[in-house]
Amino acid sequence: MPPDDLLPILRADGLTKRYGKRTALTDCDLDIPRGRVVGLVGPNGAGKSTLLQLCCGLIAPSAGTLAVLGAPPAASAAHLARVGFVAQDTPVYSALSVADHLRMGERLNPGWDAGLANRRIAAVGLNPGQRAGRLSGGQRAQLALTIAAAKRPDLLIFDEPAAALDPLARSGFLRNLTEFVAELGASAVLSSHLLGDIERVCDYLIVLCGSRVQLAGDVRDLLATHHRVVAPGPELDRLSAEAEVVWADGTGAVVRAAARQLPAQWTVRPVELEELVLSYLTRAARP
Amino acid sequence: MIWMSWRQFRTPALAGAAALAVFGGYLVILGVRIRHGYGDSLELCHRQGGGCAAAMTDFQNRFASQLYFLDAVLLMLPALIGLFWGAPLVTRELEAGTHRLVWNQSITRGRWLTVKLLVVGAAGMVLAGVASLLLTWAASPFDQVADNRFSTLLFGTRNIVPIAYAAFAFVLGTVSGILVRRTVPAMALTFLVFVVIQVLVPNVVRPHLRTPVTAAQPMTAEVVRNLGFLGQHATVAGLRIPGAWVVSGSQLRAADGEPVDQHSYDNCINAGFDGVADCIAKLDLHVDIAYQPVDRYWSFQWLESALFLGLAALLAAVGRWRINGRRT
Repeated sequence: MPPDDLLPILRADGLTKRYGKRTALTDCDLDIPRGRVVGLVGPNGAGKSTLLQLCCGLIAPSAGTLAVLGAPPAASAAHLARVGFVAQDTPVYSALSVADHLRMGERLNPGWDAGLANRRIAAVGLNPGQRAGRLSGGQRAQLALTIAAAKRPDLLIFDEPAAALDPLARSGFLRNLTEFVAELGASAVLSSHLLGDIERVCDYLIVLCGSRVQLAGDVRDLLATHHRVVAPGPELDRLSAEAEVVWADGTGAVVRAAARQLPAQWTVRPVELEELVLSYLTRAARP
Repeated sequence: MIWMSWRQFRTPALAGAAALAVFGGYLVILGVRIRHGYGDSLELCHRQGGGCAAAMTDFQNRFASQLYFLDAVLLMLPALIGLFWGAPLVTRELEAGTHRLVWNQSITRGRWLTVKLLVVGAAGMVLAGVASLLLTWAASPFDQVADNRFSTLLFGTRNIVPIAYAAFAFVLGTVSGILVRRTVPAMALTFLVFVVIQVLVPNVVRPHLRTPVTAAQPMTAEVVRNLGFLGQHATVAGLRIPGAWVVSGSQLRAADGEPVDQHSYDNCINAGFDGVADCIAKLDLHVDIAYQPVDRYWSFQWLESALFLGLAALLAAVGRWRINGRRT
């Protein structure tokens, strides 16, 4: 077994999750190295939440295997301590105060960093005596983020953390998230249907659509291997076998290929992340 | 996790403690009044002479309805604990989504459930225990006169069995919640199962917790007068042995063990209300009965408690297994 530091944060083989007859995640293969901030994008209902809940062990796979930091998710208390999770719409105990939540974190996590928690709560201006039920959406998200981060996990998982927040709160939340990841030296996975958020904080990308992984890889590598080309439809057929047209609209296309594989006379420009993601999503959505 | 369980349980616990204080205060006052009433009745019958039966009947009539009501409260108490403390224990988390917060702290789900069951379950057992022991104390002079401690109502509402009922009902509620995942249906399921169990156990299981003692009960005139029922075909009902619990009885039998001759029995039945007892006594009949003697009361209390605690442990194991393999 390789040293712990080298174990991938996520490794999935044929990972599948079915709810009755509906398949939420189909035959998903992933191998994500340490130290990344992974963005999981896709339309609503693509299976993002399913994948993340599988990763933190809230639900169990129907088929296939999944290892998070080298072990099955939520396998033991020690493994739970290494993964922090902020669930969609950031649930908190509405009857308990902010201070109660921190106390809960302290009681339930041996690695709890009270200094970090208190500092963060003060920095985002949360009143420790306030009941969590009275917090705004943004404050609640900050509280949930603090609880997940102060247990000092090696991997932080966020399920649409900023979806319900207004632009200002979202910006603040994402800034805090990035700071936490840097301070903890942790890896992170976050899902969003907002490409801007992903672009801002992530260096690894997974595109999920129709319950399947459409694309996964390092953002820089993806940008280097995809190109926006202007070429009439018939011209695209001249591409070599290794290259792949992801999406074409008659006058132009997004192709996956090394730059040298493209005919010299084509107009080629770098692809933008949003363009890249949309081309894969459009392809996946095509009947 | 003990702190967390307690923190979440604080408000229901305070409500339970307040209700117990009111109920307990009432029981103490009633207990004192029952003792005074008993003393007065004793004094009365000693002064008047001629046996205490009438005075004791008066005494019983004075307190019977209040005690029936209290018995009903104590029968319901475990069900209420299961409904309002047990059923929402997990479903409230599922409905608010907070399970996604707490199940990702550094504690396994099984341990989380176990600690919650122990903390809240212990509170439920204390509540039921204090209520039961106070009622047992308050009603003890009355129960002594009634001399019927094996009756379904009295057995299930006195001494230690209510504690085990509370533990069972609480775990039943929690596990129903884990299986059904929604509070209100879980409460309905809990109530249904608990009522079925509380009907089945006293009637089907309890009589067989220990092998009954068999004996031939002679049908003296005195015994016949106290019977509840004399049937056309020489069947009897309402045969009582003081304190003991008659589990089953045969037909009226003659000295040789054969059923009584129907002709002579009919003659007695038709002898008129006053003559029946003496007439039957002359036939030298007996009934073969199976009964649980009075000195087995405590072994029955312990056995039934063990039975319910065992069921609770079994259910808790099911709950743990189910919550670990939860497929949302």
